[in-house]
Amino acid sequence: MTTAAVEHGHGPGDEHDHDDGHEEVIYRETTDMRLLGFVLFLCSDVVLFSAFIFAYLYLRGTVDEWPPILNGHQLPRLDLPFAEFNSIVLFGSGVTMHHALENWKHGKVGRFDFFMGFTIVLGVMFLGGQGYEYSHAAIGGWSGSIFGASFFTLTGMHGFHVFCGVVYLAILWWQTKQKHYDQTHYFGLTAGTLYWHFVDVIWVALFFLFYIF
Amino acid sequence: MAHQVAKTKVSLGPGFWLVTAGILIASAIMSYFVYASGWPIGLPQIAEPAPEIDSLFKFLGAVGGTIFNIVTGYIIYFAIVFRRKKSDPPDAIGVQVHDNPVLEFWWTVIPTVLVVILAIFSTVIWSSLQNTAGDVLTMEAIGHQYYFSFRYPKLANPVNNEMHVPVNVPVTLHVTSAEPGEPPVDHGFWVPEVRLKADMVPGLINTLRFTPTQIGGPYRIICTEFCGALHGTMRATFYIDSQKDFDKWFAKQGGTGGAASGGAAGASSGIALAGGTAAAGATLFAAKCSACHATDAFSDKKVGPGLGKIFADPGHPKLVDSSAPTPDDAALIMKKGFTGDIGQMPDATTNQISDGDIANLVAYLVSLSKK
Amino acid sequence: MAVATPTTTPIPRPVLDHIHPEPTGFIRKYIFSIDHKIIAYQYFITAGLFFVIAGLLAEMIRIDLLKHTGVLTPNVYNQVYSVHGSMMVWLVIIPFVSGAFGNFVMPLQIGARDVAFPWLNLAAFWMFPPAGLILLASFAFGAPDAGWTEYPPISLQAPFGTSMWCIAIFLIGISSTLTGINFLVTIFKMRAPGMTFTRMPLFVWASAATAGLNMVATTALAAALLALFLERQFGVPFYNPTKGGSPILWQHMFWFYSHPAVYIMILPAFGIISEVLPTFSRKPIFGYKMIAFSSVAIALLGFMVWAHHMFTSGMAPWLQLPFMIITMLIAIPTGIKIFSWMATLWGGSIEFSPACLFALGFLITFTLGGVTGFFLAAVPADLHEHGTYFVVGHIHYVLYGGSVFGIYAGLYYWWPKMTGRMMNERLGQWHAWVTFVAFNCTFLPMHWLGLLGMPRRVAMYDVEFEFWNQVVSICSFFLAASTLMIMGNMLWSFKNGKKAGPNPWGARTLEWMISSPPPYYNFKKVPAVLAAPYDFGNPLPYIGLDAEPGAVEATPQSTTGLVHAH
Repeated sequence: MTTAAVEHGHGPGDEHDHDDGHEEVIYRETTDMRLLGFVLFLCSDVVLFSAFIFAYLYLRGTVDEWPPILNGHQLPRLDLPFAEFNSIVLFGSGVTMHHALENWKHGKVGRFDFFMGFTIVLGVMFLGGQGYEYSHAAIGGWSGSIFGASFFTLTGMHGFHVFCGVVYLAILWWQTKQKHYDQTHYFGLTAGTLYWHFVDVIWVALFFLFYIF
Repeated sequence: MAHQVAKTKVSLGPGFWLVTAGILIASAIMSYFVYASGWPIGLPQIAEPAPEIDSLFKFLGAVGGTIFNIVTGYIIYFAIVFRRKKSDPPDAIGVQVHDNPVLEFWWTVIPTVLVVILAIFSTVIWSSLQNTAGDVLTMEAIGHQYYFSFRYPKLANPVNNEMHVPVNVPVTLHVTSAEPGEPPVDHGFWVPEVRLKADMVPGLINTLRFTPTQIGGPYRIICTEFCGALHGTMRATFYIDSQKDFDKWFAKQGGTGGAASGGAAGASSGIALAGGTAAAGATLFAAKCSACHATDAFSDKKVGPGLGKIFADPGHPKLVDSSAPTPDDAALIMKKGFTGDIGQMPDATTNQISDGDIANLVAYLVSLSKK
Repeated sequence: MAVATPTTTPIPRPVLDHIHPEPTGFIRKYIFSIDHKIIAYQYFITAGLFFVIAGLLAEMIRIDLLKHTGVLTPNVYNQVYSVHGSMMVWLVIIPFVSGAFGNFVMPLQIGARDVAFPWLNLAAFWMFPPAGLILLASFAFGAPDAGWTEYPPISLQAPFGTSMWCIAIFLIGISSTLTGINFLVTIFKMRAPGMTFTRMPLFVWASAATAGLNMVATTALAAALLALFLERQFGVPFYNPTKGGSPILWQHMFWFYSHPAVYIMILPAFGIISEVLPTFSRKPIFGYKMIAFSSVAIALLGFMVWAHHMFTSGMAPWLQLPFMIITMLIAIPTGIKIFSWMATLWGGSIEFSPACLFALGFLITFTLGGVTGFFLAAVPADLHEHGTYFVVGHIHYVLYGGSVFGIYAGLYYWWPKMTGRMMNERLGQWHAWVTFVAFNCTFLPMHWLGLLGMPRRVAMYDVEFEFWNQVVSICSFFLAASTLMIMGNMLWSFKNGKKAGPNPWGARTLEWMISSPPPYYNFKKVPAVLAAPYDFGNPLPYIGLDAEPGAVEATPQSTTGLVHAH
């Protein structure tokens, strides 16, 4: 190995002298780092949800009957059909997000716009659906029982993540309008897509744990 | 390489084996002392699990102390023998060795074997603790801010601040925390001379089993979970009495005999329950009882506990005996009322229910438990 | 041993060649700096300040315990000991070992110009002082008083200060998590060309394991704190048994983080010892690979033992066994480290600098802490020891005799690199001896106090324990006073300390190859690494280093090539 590669003669303040190949390598390396960092962040977020899921399952294990009994009556189960519909909305938005990113990569900006917009709309629909579910769930309220405590806290945290995701996607979409990304430099869109899929995966778990199990 | 002055002779060091022998002899003497004395816990052993728990402490002390001696002894030795002396050149260096697979193998394997031995020893003692005798006397200790109360079978009211047990009688002690009126907090129950401890968690029943072996007292019952400002002074006294002295003390508390002699004698309601009907009882329950009692799990409290499953739940909290409450127990409570840490229930006269009403109510509760 | 010929083609790291222009202006240079070294100094100063405050709280504890009836009112005492513990764990030790040492040393040791995400680093630091201020401000609202563990139900009933505690710790937890992510990416992606994992200094291995723990475990604490806060403020039932909750749930969630937390606190200290001992024995670290892997093993095992804090809580008895056994197993990788460090001393040419003395003290006190930890791991023994002063003795042996001794060793070791000044060696050596003796006199008696019947978290205690409590308190005053010795030494070094060259200790890791203090860009040219760093007497295993003019040249042809700047 020669020492030439490391003695390339870069010093303070001359970062504007790079040729294109150099810039590309830098972009690739920083993207590598940012991707790893983002994935690690999502891992720590998974732990956050896992801890609350543990709390839910633990509390559920302390009672004989589920849903638990409040004031002498057993609480009702949650509305499965509506949740199924709302889940399809959310999972659908994952599909549209995937298509959005694929279209962007292939330079089809018009179709990207369509799918990105669709994703955001579906995300907002999901949030609206959750609002409807919250107003109709007769499980004693947030502070009434461990059912309400675990359901509203867990789905509330998830809803907060969805809300942040909607905002994030909107900002990314605006950035594409500002020509911030091109077909070879689009890390933000990759991160946004990853985050949106993460939100979907969490919902799979929550849907199963609260509506099926 | 003109400047390096590495050690040319790779010996272990002057007097290495002497020091090793010294460390091992010191450890042997220390271990002897551990076993010959009351060390490390110099407290009397007043109940059954204490001697075996102490044996674990001694084993841990001997092994742990030896390991500590080895580490400290060699470090001091190396620091003295391998220190840089004034006569050494300024760029003197040590023996340039990176590893020694044989040595590393042994210092991995030997500690692993030691850990396994200690784990096995601990598991044996642990499993013997799981099988400790109990159940001849079953009683409760309840933590409050900032005192302990004790409930004995066939004793309507709890005894505060003082716990007596008869010698050589296996005891099962259920502990929990409760607070009339205020929300309860965690406490701990510890008698150092017994070596056992359990947290007193509200809503949970934890269980200790031991057999007192030595008449004496007062010993200390100490709270070991932070419970508020006066946690440091939360104490009760613990006495181990002869059977006669215990019976005398128990009688003084208002208990009728037989609490801890294994006998079946105890109070009875004296009501004939056979003629009761569940349907009549259901109507009565709705009229007289449902204001305070729901018909679901015991933990489903209105004013009093839920009564839906009391005959089907042998681990029924708040009843001292760990056997399932009988219909007669329920009848007794309805007749005489109940005063305890979960509250107070008026007696039959105040509630205006007759013996026949009680029989019907009991039949109803029996039918609920069958569901 | 000859210079290793390069067998790997170093991967070009153009991103590492980037040097940003130096920031101008006081604010960008020293307050909101993205330079990992400045951020490290900020962590050092802030954590140091919190150490003094938490130490004063400790002295208030010991003053109260001079009399068996107590000196402070119990309510005040309970707040004092709880804030002392919370501060020491979250505002002192973790920020010191991770935020301060991790930030300063790790990027330099891997030959990087900074961490992976410098702006994230800045954001993470600036959560730290507010978190501390919120916790201290809680005294005005009824500071948390149920220990640093804040078990419900009692913590549900406490005044608003406990909610402030939740917020403060949540905030510092976010900071820790972000730092963990940052350090992991830095270590994985920004090592100098040729620095394979097995050529990394052991402090970097320790930082990687710690960063992993920080990243994964801290969010579990965030969940526990969030639930506690929601229940306290909005009545959402998680922990209150009268509403269907479970106090044991808190214990599981809290300890799932807090056990890995103690490994977060000790692993970097292990890393510091692994750097200090070879340098002052002038020989390679013994058993490099085993020390590196044992750090990872300890981190992984550390996730599986949390319920050993709950043996008396009423958990299912059969569950006690696996937690007991895995806890005992951790003794094995830990023992491997201790023996490897001892073997590093063997055959060395040992120089008793203050850093080295603290490292030696660490080996003795941490071993004792480990032995008492084994006592606690054994369930039948723990049934007697739990909730007593035995535990207080154990935790201070591993946290003070372990982490703090490691921090002291690191401070003496890297002080010249950070400040360009030497500390007074004599004073430092005295500091080490006074600390060692005072420390043992303070904390050793606690083990017997516990075994004989003194519970912990008590503002007053039985009269039979008064004599030994007074001994402990008086020795603790000496221990507290000893802190003044290093503080004075730091001030002395700025006034009278000799200027330090790049490598006053003759060490061989990359941070010693640049000036003291380092230039803002660290390495003018990122070196290529040819071998592991610890082979004294051999040429340095780096090529392409560009030293500052006036400093000692570090060329492949020099032997030790270093001047001892004593």
